[in-house]
Amino acid sequence: MIDVQALSKKFGDNLVLSDITISIQKGEVVAIIGPSGSGKSTFLRCLNLLETPSSGSIEINGKNLTASKKGIHKIRQQIGMVFQHFHLFPHMTVLENLMYAPMKAKGIKKYDAEGKARQLLERVGLAQKADAYPNSLSGGQKQRVAIARALAMEPELMLFDEPTSALDPEMVKEVLEVMKDLAKSGMTMIVVTHEMGFAKEVADRVLFLDHGVLVEEGEPESFFKHPASERARDFLDKVL
Amino acid sequence: MNLDFSQIVPYIPFMLEGIWVTLKFVFFAIILGSILGTVLALFKIGSAKSLRWFADAYTSIFRGTPLILQLMIIYYSIPQLTGYDILPFLSAILAFGLNSSAYISEIIRAGIQAVDKGQLEAAQALGVPHGAMMKDIILPQALKNILPALMNEFITLTKESAIVSTIGYLDLMRRAQVVGADLFRNFEPLLFVGLIYWCLVMGLTVIGRMVERRLKLSD
Repeated sequence: MIDVQALSKKFGDNLVLSDITISIQKGEVVAIIGPSGSGKSTFLRCLNLLETPSSGSIEINGKNLTASKKGIHKIRQQIGMVFQHFHLFPHMTVLENLMYAPMKAKGIKKYDAEGKARQLLERVGLAQKADAYPNSLSGGQKQRVAIARALAMEPELMLFDEPTSALDPEMVKEVLEVMKDLAKSGMTMIVVTHEMGFAKEVADRVLFLDHGVLVEEGEPESFFKHPASERARDFLDKVL
Repeated sequence: MNLDFSQIVPYIPFMLEGIWVTLKFVFFAIILGSILGTVLALFKIGSAKSLRWFADAYTSIFRGTPLILQLMIIYYSIPQLTGYDILPFLSAILAFGLNSSAYISEIIRAGIQAVDKGQLEAAQALGVPHGAMMKDIILPQALKNILPALMNEFITLTKESAIVSTIGYLDLMRRAQVVGADLFRNFEPLLFVGLIYWCLVMGLTVIGRMVERRLKLSD
């Protein structure tokens, strides 16, 4: 489904991603871990061209993203993204947040968009907040709305950029639960995370990045028990 | 003290008519200034270098020269250059609209740039087209931040509108001068229109507060 070849990204002279090659299958849940500044988020943001790669190619469902920026809207509509800081639209109610993009970007009728939105709010357990404004929600609620907003576009792939890092500890669980349900439903997910528990339990594969290099990848079980590289061992010693 | 307000009483209807005359062109000037200002602001933050250059040059000229000079140039030079006998009303709308668009574009540009970059990224990630994103996501949030500055600009424009009296447009200010010349007493009519200007600005202030309160609903 996703095929990344020799992806590199430079900010000025600073090489933040170096020669990353990876392919990801449909339905796979991939956790990306690594120290801060390792390029995890940049890698994720390259996948929907929020960052423009300096070199290399990205193919999603057979479409080459890096060849031209034309039609990037259509491709982004198939890729949901959840941000660390939610980025809900503050001047719209929760329901409007979910209905806006399907109506504007896909031309879905208001009636259908609203039905879908209410159904998704039900799914993330926030049906009663439909008419609230984002600023009146807790962090965990905001993130669940953000996930529902992304799902409203019926994406084939979901990107999560540290979805629980900005949350108070007691709210992490409710967001992870929603993500687990999503993984069970067969959604293809790429999750940049510091939640090692989540990576262990839910991911099919773990990628370990350090200094912009894909150092190691593997199944969570073997990776967490017997990391092959020195750098991964060091990192795991610090966080576990 | 030689003050006699009873003398201006017969002239009051004449002066009150000036409210409508002033408001009429101020209204159109604000519309023109807002539309043009928004377009210029979009040029300034856009990626096309030539448009950015144009908008910056425009702002620099209209902010860098006196408003009264711009008004005179429009009123006197258009007939001279084109033979078209431009009315004071149209000259006033053009001069004030073009001038205030320079200020408004700066206000809007700053407002847009103050909107959290994450909003833009969220809209992009959802595949929302650029135009719709600006109109529905960025501009409404920018508007909320800049409303006080924008109201300030509209208030300034309303007051500075008195300058059109210099091209013979019969606005509030001009009417006060006409009455003053008629009566050989200037203080009373001037004070009277001064009060009217103050009421107009207070009205604008109240409207601004109301809009602000409505926009604050989402907090």
